[in-house]
Amino acid sequence: MIQIEQLRFSYRDSVFRLHIPELRIEDGQSVVLAGPSGSGKTTLLNLIAGILPADSGSIRIDNTCITQLQDPARRLFRLQQIGLVFQDFQLIDYLDVLDNVLLPCRIHPSVRLTQELRARAQELLDAVGIGQHSGRSIVRLSQGERQRAALCRALLLSPRLVLADEPTGNLDPGNSGRMVELMLAETKRAGATLMMVTHDHSLLSRFDRTIPFESFLEPRERVG
Amino acid sequence: MTQALYLAIRSLWWHRGRSLILIASLALTIWLPLTVRLALRQFQDEIALRAGSTPLVLGAVGSRMDLALHALYFESRPPAVITMRDARAVDESQLAAAIPLHIRFRTQSRPGVDGVPIVGTSPEYFEFRGLQTAAGELPALLGECVLGSGYAERSGLKPGDALLSAPENALNLAGNYPLQLRVSGVLATSHSPDDFAVFTDVQTAWVIEGIGHGHQEITKETDPTLLMENASEQQGVTVNRGVLPYIEITDENRDSFHFHGDPDEFPLTAALVVPVSEKARVLLLGRYADTEGKVQCIQPPQVIAELLEMVFRIEQLVWICSLAAALVTLLLLGLVLSLSLRLRENEMQTMFRLGCSRLTIIQLQVAEVLLLLLAATGLAATGGWLTVLAAGNAIRALLF
Repeated sequence: MIQIEQLRFSYRDSVFRLHIPELRIEDGQSVVLAGPSGSGKTTLLNLIAGILPADSGSIRIDNTCITQLQDPARRLFRLQQIGLVFQDFQLIDYLDVLDNVLLPCRIHPSVRLTQELRARAQELLDAVGIGQHSGRSIVRLSQGERQRAALCRALLLSPRLVLADEPTGNLDPGNSGRMVELMLAETKRAGATLMMVTHDHSLLSRFDRTIPFESFLEPRERVG
Repeated sequence: MTQALYLAIRSLWWHRGRSLILIASLALTIWLPLTVRLALRQFQDEIALRAGSTPLVLGAVGSRMDLALHALYFESRPPAVITMRDARAVDESQLAAAIPLHIRFRTQSRPGVDGVPIVGTSPEYFEFRGLQTAAGELPALLGECVLGSGYAERSGLKPGDALLSAPENALNLAGNYPLQLRVSGVLATSHSPDDFAVFTDVQTAWVIEGIGHGHQEITKETDPTLLMENASEQQGVTVNRGVLPYIEITDENRDSFHFHGDPDEFPLTAALVVPVSEKARVLLLGRYADTEGKVQCIQPPQVIAELLEMVFRIEQLVWICSLAAALVTLLLLGLVLSLSLRLRENEMQTMFRLGCSRLTIIQLQVAEVLLLLLAATGLAATGGWLTVLAAGNAIRALLF
C-alpha cells in the first residue's frame, strides 16, 4: 500500500507548490493520475520513486518510509521495488534489447545478474511479443516495440510498484490502447501496483481508479 | 566493476569511430617516446658492442671521434694517414698485433644501390671479427674481394661476379682509375657495419689508390712511342703516359702488377690493435700518449661512450618534446571525454533514475578511460615491439 501524508514539495526558484494532504493507494490497484500539464503529476511520481526529496510530509510504501531514507538507500529501494517507465523510453542506444531489459542488474552492486534473471528477461520479452528481437540493437525497433522493451525493463526485478510517466505520449491512439492493455495485464500478472500519468482521457476507464490532480495544487498555482 | 566494464565496452564499441580516434591518438603519444627509447637502446647496444670488441685503434693524430668512427664503422675519414711502418712497429713491439685498414674508396653506385666502403685489410681482420663466408671464399689473390651480406643482398652480386671501385674524386681526370674487383665470396650476416662493406687485401686497396699497378710489358721493341727516354738495356726503360694501366686484375695480368716505392711508406687510414695482455694494452697506450707524435692510439669504448653521452642528451630532448605532446593529447582527451559526458548526460540521468549507485556511475566513466588507455598502451607497445623488430635492420642501415 502507498500512503502519502501532508506531502509538500517546491522547486527552488519556482512558484510551483505541491501539497498532498493525504493519498492512499491499495496494493495491486491500477491508478491513473489525470490533470493538466504542469500540475505536478510527474513530480509526484518522482517523489514516490525517491528521485526528488520531499520538503516535508511522508511517503510510505508498505513498511518503508521513502522520505526518511538516505540517498543510497533510496536508490537501492527504487531499483529493487519500483519499476519505472518513461515517456521517451530512455533506453540505452548502445545496448541490445535484452541488455536494455537487464540494465537494472548492471548498475548496482547489490543486484546481481543471474541466469534466472536472464531467463526472466527473455520470458518478459516473449510475453510482450518481442522475444525474437532480444539480440537486436534497440535503435532498430519501432516505437511500439521500444515501449514494450521499456516495460519489460520496469518489470524485470518484480517490483511492487510500477510508475509510468505518460508512457503512451508518443504513440498513436491504436498503439496507445494496446500499450495500456499490455501494462495493465503485465502488472496484474506480476501482482504490482500501477500508477500512470496520462493526458489521454479515453484511457481512464481502463484503470481501477482515477486521481484528478488539480486538487493537490496550492490555490495560487492551480492551472485554470 | 565487471558490469561497468561490460557497459563501457559496449559503449566504446557503439561509438567505435570516436574510440578508434582516441585510441590512435593516445597510442601515438605513447608509441613515439617508447620507440625512440627502444631504438636508442638498440643503437647504444649495437654501437657499444662494436666498440667494446675493439680494444685499441691506431691512427693519425686528430679527432679521436673521427678515427673511432672510421676504424669501427667505416664512416668519416681521418685527415691524415699512417704508414705500414707504424703498423709494423706495433707488431715488432710484441705487445700487440696490428690489423691494417685502408678505407679510402667506395664501390661504384648502381641504380638503386649506393656504393659501400672498400676495406683493404689483412686476413687477420676476418678472424678478429669472427667473420665467415656464407658463399665462396675469402680473398686470396690480388684483385679479389669478399662482400658483406647486406651489400651482397642489395646489389645481387655473388661469387664470380665483378664490381668496380669508384674514383676518389670524379672530377680529377688525372686521378686514380676505377679498378674492377672479382667477387670471391660473400660473408655471413654479422649484424654489424661489416655487412655493408666490401673487403679486399690491403695491397688491392693500394692498387686502387694507384700505388701499385699493372700494365703491358714495355721494351724498346714493343712500341718506341711509349718510351720517354731510351736508356741502356741494363737500366730498363721509362715509359710515358701513353701506357695505360690495367683496370682489371686477371689471372693473365696479375703477375704484371707491382708497386713503386718503399712498402713501409705505403698508407693506411688506421690499424686495429689487439694487445696480447692488459699490461701490453696499458704499455701501448703509454707509448702513444706522446702528444708530439704523428700517430695516436685510442680506446674505442671510451671514445664511443663520449659519443653516446651526446646521443642521450638528444634523447632527453626527445623526451621533453614527447612529454609536451603527451600533455597536449591528455588535455584533448579530457576535452573529448568531457564533451562525450555532456552528450551522454541523458544516459547517466536514466541510470540515476533507475537507481544506479553513484559508485557505478563513476565506475562507468573510469572504466571507459581505463579501457581506452589500456588499448592505446597495448597498441603502442605492440607497435613499438614490431617497429624495433622490423626496423632493426633499418636502424643498423642508418647506423652503418
